[in-house]
Amino acid sequence: MTLFHFFNCAILTFGPHAVYYSATPLSEYDTLGTSVKAAVVYLATALVKLVCLATFLQVSETEVFDPYQEALKAMIGFIDVAGLYFALAQLTHRNISQNHKFQAVGLGWAFADSVLHRLAPLWVGARGLEFTWDYVLQGLEANANLVFTISLAALGSLMWLRKNKPKTLIPIIYTCAVIIATMPSITSYLRRVMGWHFPKVVGFELMTSLVMAFISCQLFILCQRPSL
Amino acid sequence: MSEDKNSKHNRHHRSTLFDSMYPLVALTLALVACVELCDAATVVDVYRLIQYDISGAPFGSRFSSLNHHAASLSFHPGADLSRSVLILPLRDLDLAFLQDYISQKQSLGGLLILLPQMFRPGGNVISETLGLRRLLGQLEKLLIHSNIPFPVYFAFENEETDAMLADVKKNDALGQQATATTGGYKLVISVSEPRKIASPTITNIQGWLPGSRAEGDSNQLPTIAVVASYDTFGAAPALSVGSDSNGSGVVALLEVARLFSTLYSNPKTRGRYNLLFALTSGGPYNYEGTQKWLKSLDQRMRESIDYAICLNSVGSWDNELLVHVSKPPENAYIKQIFEGFSNVAEDLGFQVSLKHKKINISNSRVAWEHEQFSRLRVTAATVSGLSAPPELLESAGSLSDTRQHVNEDAIIKGVKLVAESLARHIYGHQGKDIQIFADNSSLAVNPFYVRSWLDSLSQTPRVAPFLSKNEPLIMALKKELEDYTAEVSIQQESLDGIFTFYDSTKASLNIYQVASVTFDLLLLLVLGSYLIMLFSFLVITTRGLDDLISIFRRPPSRKMKMA
Repeated sequence: MTLFHFFNCAILTFGPHAVYYSATPLSEYDTLGTSVKAAVVYLATALVKLVCLATFLQVSETEVFDPYQEALKAMIGFIDVAGLYFALAQLTHRNISQNHKFQAVGLGWAFADSVLHRLAPLWVGARGLEFTWDYVLQGLEANANLVFTISLAALGSLMWLRKNKPKTLIPIIYTCAVIIATMPSITSYLRRVMGWHFPKVVGFELMTSLVMAFISCQLFILCQRPSL
Repeated sequence: MSEDKNSKHNRHHRSTLFDSMYPLVALTLALVACVELCDAATVVDVYRLIQYDISGAPFGSRFSSLNHHAASLSFHPGADLSRSVLILPLRDLDLAFLQDYISQKQSLGGLLILLPQMFRPGGNVISETLGLRRLLGQLEKLLIHSNIPFPVYFAFENEETDAMLADVKKNDALGQQATATTGGYKLVISVSEPRKIASPTITNIQGWLPGSRAEGDSNQLPTIAVVASYDTFGAAPALSVGSDSNGSGVVALLEVARLFSTLYSNPKTRGRYNLLFALTSGGPYNYEGTQKWLKSLDQRMRESIDYAICLNSVGSWDNELLVHVSKPPENAYIKQIFEGFSNVAEDLGFQVSLKHKKINISNSRVAWEHEQFSRLRVTAATVSGLSAPPELLESAGSLSDTRQHVNEDAIIKGVKLVAESLARHIYGHQGKDIQIFADNSSLAVNPFYVRSWLDSLSQTPRVAPFLSKNEPLIMALKKELEDYTAEVSIQQESLDGIFTFYDSTKASLNIYQVASVTFDLLLLLVLGSYLIMLFSFLVITTRGLDDLISIFRRPPSRKMKMA
């Protein structure tokens, strides 16, 4: 029953995106266009990142954690943030409230990320007879990534789209955004230097994603108060 | 208005875009589906039991492909194994149990026999375990002579198979039979069904070393033949290397050829006898190759053969070498040959004995190679370490006949015996105390030559129906004889008669660790409830609880609206 397993892992990886879209008011306001545009921006960003990685990074044979290489990778990771900025601020969207805009952008971004990074391994690997927990864990990671992206999009919209913010909250917003943006470097550090196995890393990602979501939610609500 | 036009335009663009993407999407889907799913955690080389017919009666394992769950010996008595593969390590083998299973024709999905690493051709020398060798011999005898309606494979133990077997034993001990609903290990060998080998060829290689004719002598020179059969037969044809039967004979023949070619290369030391070296095939099948080769010889040539020495299994004897004959020992020629042998043996420090076995013309079984010569009125004897004639298809390269159990010193002593007695006969030095092939002379037996040929033969399976016409082994033997003799010819015949063989001797076993269907269903349930909970959570937090309830109450509300 291997196609069965593939189906299970697929709904774990891509189901939450569809559920998010249909459950929240996003479906009522027909924000699909925004999500699609965000997905396309993600593809372009991924291409740029790839080119930069290929140009600047040296491939090491062993799994040694080289701080310079990791710092370089983190800097290239900020291209992600730039892409998100472009999707949020520069693209013209239909008249959607800010509330929904960041959700739609985050959703499109996370969906493109999942498809690009997880669909191919899933198709090739999960259909085989051999059973591993890898694909279930990958699906959980996709869920955590969705939460991360939406939180990052929320913080991003706070940073770039909202002009009047309480002064005290600004550093917190920026710190949280930095933490979320450097999440990939943190996980690779955990995996290589601390030697954590995949399940542990995924658990850590899930917990941090929930914490971050809660924090960004609170920040968003706090920032909304002056305009009310 | 303009917005409407705009949206219509957009929609038109979108549809044409999708239309053009259809073939691209279809192509990518087709490509992706062709990605090979070779993702087994473990892949092991396995070797199939031989499958053959004798006059239409089937023997051996009749099937080759396998796709079942693994089971071990600690299964529940009374459990149904017809859809399982039984994994049997040789050490835990209970021959009586297997015999019962086969004779009662109980159905089994398949049998995988795990052999210790020491039986691997080219493996290291490990301490002697006589008991295991004997057990392996008995197992082979049982399997070769039974008709087995399920696939039987041999594999060598390694860490992965050990781990898998331990796991399977643990599960079986708990009483959970591995089936589609309880997970476990799945063994898959995907090969096509075995087909008959259409016309298997046997190849005989002969080398002719002419003697020197005295001036004015127009008579044909007498010939002495040295013969050995080089092919093997065993339970697993891909592992049938036959180091002793008859790799040792082939090596001895090549060394004798080399020594005499050195002697004959100088016209002053060329003897008045021709030498005929023959490497024959079809040995296990009543020496059919030898018979065909003899019949193909020119009659005059055959009549000029003084006598023939056949070499068979000269690699694992200690103190006594046996000379088997079919003519009665009182025969003058036999006496002469045997006396020559015993004189040399005395000098070299071991014993030879004569054994006589009459030929029964009505019995088609040919136990020794010299019997084929005797049936055509040529004097012949077989020099062998075996004391009893081997049964049909036995002692012809079994699984336990590996390099570790062959003693090269025995082969060297055998070579010295044959070469010295031949030389004394050729040059007329019978009874004299002369050593022509003395050690440390230029004509000494070369132990490195013996060792290197023995090593390479011990890594080459040589079952005749599976050797192609231009097999590298045959080419190598031909080239070697070409170096030492003047004329080499190859005779290729088809192996007709009562034997039929089937192909598919080697395969790759994929071992998958599979999860059961119940696990998948459980996972589906968990994921379904997770998604439903996520949905409800999101609806409640973003739209409010009323909206969630209204989703489930939509049909009545619509009815109310219409009413």
